[in-house]
Order: sequence, then C-alpha cells, then structure tokens
Amino acid sequence: MSTSAAPHASHPTRSPRFRRSLWFYLGEISIWLFLIVMAILEFAPISWIFSTSLRNPSDSYKLPPDFWPTAFHWQNYLAVINSPQINFLLFFWNSLKIASLVTIAQLITCSMAGFSFARLRYPGRDVIFFVFLSSLMVPATVIMIPTFILIRMVGLLDSHWALILPATTSAFGVFLLRQAFMGIPAELTDAAKIDGASYWRTYWQIALPLVGPALSALAIFTFLGSWNNFLGPVLYLRSWDNYTFPIAIVMLNGYMGTGNRAHVLAGVMISIFPVLLFFLLAQRFVIRGIAVTGLKG
Amino acid sequence: MLTTVADPYQTSASAGKQRISRWRTNRVQEVFAGYLFITPAFISLFIFLVAPILAAFVLIFMRYDVLSPPTWVGTYNLSQLINDARLRDVYWNTLRFVVFATLFNNVLGLLLAMGVNRAMPSIIKYLLRTALFFPVLTTTASLALVWNFLLTQDRGVVNYLLQQIGLAPVPWLSSSAWAMVSVVMFDVWRACGFLMVIYLAGLQAIPEVLYEAASIDGASQFQRMRYITLPLISPTAFFAIIISLIGAAQVFDNVWVLTGGGPGDATRIVVLYIYEIGFKRFEMGYAAAVSLTLFAILIALTLFQFRLSRRWVHYD
Repeated sequence: MSTSAAPHASHPTRSPRFRRSLWFYLGEISIWLFLIVMAILEFAPISWIFSTSLRNPSDSYKLPPDFWPTAFHWQNYLAVINSPQINFLLFFWNSLKIASLVTIAQLITCSMAGFSFARLRYPGRDVIFFVFLSSLMVPATVIMIPTFILIRMVGLLDSHWALILPATTSAFGVFLLRQAFMGIPAELTDAAKIDGASYWRTYWQIALPLVGPALSALAIFTFLGSWNNFLGPVLYLRSWDNYTFPIAIVMLNGYMGTGNRAHVLAGVMISIFPVLLFFLLAQRFVIRGIAVTGLKG
Repeated sequence: MLTTVADPYQTSASAGKQRISRWRTNRVQEVFAGYLFITPAFISLFIFLVAPILAAFVLIFMRYDVLSPPTWVGTYNLSQLINDARLRDVYWNTLRFVVFATLFNNVLGLLLAMGVNRAMPSIIKYLLRTALFFPVLTTTASLALVWNFLLTQDRGVVNYLLQQIGLAPVPWLSSSAWAMVSVVMFDVWRACGFLMVIYLAGLQAIPEVLYEAASIDGASQFQRMRYITLPLISPTAFFAIIISLIGAAQVFDNVWVLTGGGPGDATRIVVLYIYEIGFKRFEMGYAAAVSLTLFAILIALTLFQFRLSRRWVHYD
C-alpha cells in the first residue's frame, strides 16, 4: 500500500554490498512493513474468529475484541456439534460426500478426455476439442437458469445429484490434462502400443502415473471449489437435511446468531480447521498446483 | 525356379495385405478408443453446458414461471432489457465492483508476490505465504459472514479499532456509498492471495541469468524491474487480469452474505439481480436474457483484452 512506489528486486540473489545507500534501506524497510501489515490484515480476522469462538457465549459481543484466545470455552464447539436442532455433522458429511464424488468424477472424465485429445488420432478430434476450449469462456451465470429448469424437470431438485451431475466434468480440467499428457514423451506410449498394450492399459498404467502434478492440482481445485460452492446449494437444496456446510453456516447465523455469536464462529472454525490442516501439510502442492494451472491457462 | 521366384512375391504381397489390414484394424481401434475416451466428458459437457446455452437462447423469447408451461412472447424480454432502469444501476454497480476489485487484486497480488519472492529465511516465507493465502482456501460464505460481524456499525470490531485511533466510526454496511467500498474491500482481502500465487509462479519462471547479466551491466534496481521483471511478467499479468475480471463479474456469495445487495440496490450486482429475477420473480425468460447480456459483455471484454494485449504483453 504505502510502498507501491518502492522498487522491488524480485530475484533472490544478494545485491552488491558496496552500493547500499539510504534509499536502499528505506526501500527495504517499506517492503517489509508492507508485507508484515498485509500478513496481519489477512490473518487477523481469522484469529479473531478463533478467539471469539472460544469466548463465553455471553461475552461474544464484548469489546475490545480479542485477536488471541483469552478464554477457552471449548464447550462452544460441542454445543454446535451436539446441537439438537441443527445436525452439524450431517452438513459436514454432505459437503464431504458431494466434494469427493465430484472430484473423483472429474479426475476420471477429464483425464480420459485429455488423454484422448493428446494421444489418439481420429476424425473430428480438433473440432471437439475446440468445443471444449470455447466452453471455457462461458460464465456459469449464463447456464444457471436453463440448468435449474433442467434439474427441476428431471426431478432432482433438493437432491445432492443436482450438485454432483452438472459438475462431473470441466472443460478446464480437460484442457489442463491434455496439456499434461502432451508433455509426456511419445516414445513411452508408442512403446506400449508396440508391446501390444490396449489403449486403456496405456492410459491407465503408463500415461496416468506420469501426470501426477496436474491430477493433484485438478483434485485440489475441484475439491475446494465444490466444498466452497454456495450458489449451487442456494439454488437446488431445499430441505434442512440436505444442506452443505457453507449454506448451513449462513443459516446457523440466522438461526442462533442473535446473542450467540460464539457458537456461529465455532461453526465457522469447524469449517476452517480441515482446510487449515490440509494447507499446512500440503502447501507446496497447492502452490505448485496454482502455478501449474495458472501458467498453462 | 518359377516357384521360388513367385514364392517371395506371394508371401510379401500377402504380408503387405496383412500389414495393411492390421494397420486398418489398429486405426479403427484407435478411432474407436478415441471416441470412447471422450464420451463421458462429452456427454456431461453436452447436457450441462452446451444444451443449457442453446436453451438460454430459446428461453429469452419465452415467459416461463416454472410452474405453468412456457409461453412464446417474442421480443418482449429483449425490449424489457432496454427499459429496465434497475438493470442500468445493477450494471453500474457491477462495473464499479469489477474495475476496483480487479485493479486492487492485481496490484496487491503483484506487489505481494514481489515481496514474498525476495531472499528470506524459509520459515518466514512459509508463514507469510500461509497468512496471505489462507483466506483463499476458506469458504467465502463463512468469511463474508465474519466480515459482516466485523463491519457492524455500532459494536463492530473495525469501528472499535478506528475509534481507538481517534477516527469516526464508518457506516460500512448501512450507507450506500460505503457498502460498495466494503464489498470491494472484502473481495480484495479474500482474493489477493490467490493472485499473489499466480504472480509468484510467473516471477519464479524468469531466468536468474537475466538479472545477473543486468547487474553486471550496471542496471539499477529500478531498471531491472522496468526492463526485465515487468516485460517478462506481462503474460502472467494478462492471464491474471482476465481470470480475475471474469471472476469478479460473476461474484455471488461475497455480496449475498455481506450485504444481500443492499442497502437498497447499492451493491446489487448482476448475478444477484439475475437470481432475484429468476428465483424471486420467477421470470426465467428475462433472467436468461440478462445473463446473456453478461455473457456478451464478458466475451467482448476478453476479445478487447486480447486486442489490447498486443500492445503490452511481451511473448518471447
């Protein structure tokens, strides 16, 4: 913010010592100040959630706010999980189920189509690939209304299939995996062909193990996208028992938000914990995944 | 003699035929396998993407409230597009949101990436990246809910902190001027870490040799930034700007949870409006018409970006 004018050396080698002037130090200080302020701004709300979720519910509106825990009412978490009106674990399970099925389906359909586009030759291939590519441009908003009508017509409203079926493939994933399959040496698949391996076997045993990074990137983004999906559940889910996590948390606020903010924030924290754990363990994968997908886009 | 001459001829001819026929069966198999492999993805894409788009183009000529069968209304929905004053406000809001969110997300993302890409102990780098990237991974709806708490006017945390440093409290969500600021602020807070990672990948792809050569030639930090970093980061920036633009134009949950489109229509952006038309007023035809305008605008913007990119994006 304040340092937008500061020139950054974006390469990690040491700059020569003999040239360090006052400006150099001013620049260094403002860059670090910028990074630290931004890190605090980004993380403070999260630590506020955590601290407030551990407060005594009657103190949850009290100012000054806490940015680190001062009380430890872990009962808030139990209260949310065991709440008789709201089956929080069920929402968790619903989200997990939908996100897992969507991820598995996309890994299968996208990798198969990607393999076909990258490694097999047949008439019409490039035309079909172009259809896939151009569908990348279509914003989800355009198909929202017709898809809703379709889902309603086949009677899938208020069922999890309404969220799973439309997400069983993605043009983006097909494109990503096609690029990945193009990157493996043709000699490998040719050798398998000469040795008499079927196309399925070449795909499954030779090609697929070689595109691990692209597969994991696709898996991470598909899972997160489905886990965080909000518009879909708002459109399709009607009954309380089918709700997924994000919508359940918003509903939880409407339901017990007045005077019981600590409980709502405990619910939010429960949705954050798995992601935090996952990210701390797999940060390298996530970042590399974005790099892979980002640059190939 | 004759037989011995004829024999190799015959065998080679039959072998050639065999080879051709094997090649044919191989080709047939390959074509068959090719189609089979794309079938699952193609069916799914066709049912849930191609068909809905085509349906949207039919739907704009219809009145359909979901419950009673659709009726043909000709160009009624299209003329409604022109007469709808609210639509103009909604697009004005969308425009402001998209421009500011894209701008701040990309500028902050690039600056953060440059900062994080510096030489520093790996533990500090790890902590910085975690803190900056964390909001990206967390459910947007939950975070919007939390910011709703934080930005409350009377007993909100942000206003409390402002008052502590002697500033007046701000009606973050209740004044129509500030609500848009809050919505943009929240989006930048949530998404700039994502753009940071994209720019980080772009920065790390710049060959170290170039900087070394530049410093041998006596280039200053500013010159290295101007003549190496910026040109070489431009393809990444182009990609990042396009995806953040398209993403921002389709924001839903941020605004839905944070302000609900209010106060009044102050933060009602186009997807929220489409939702309202389709699922509160049940005018599916008009909702489809509005969504197609968004589609057209996004395509035009992307094409424009591509055209413009020839001026500033550097490919090698």
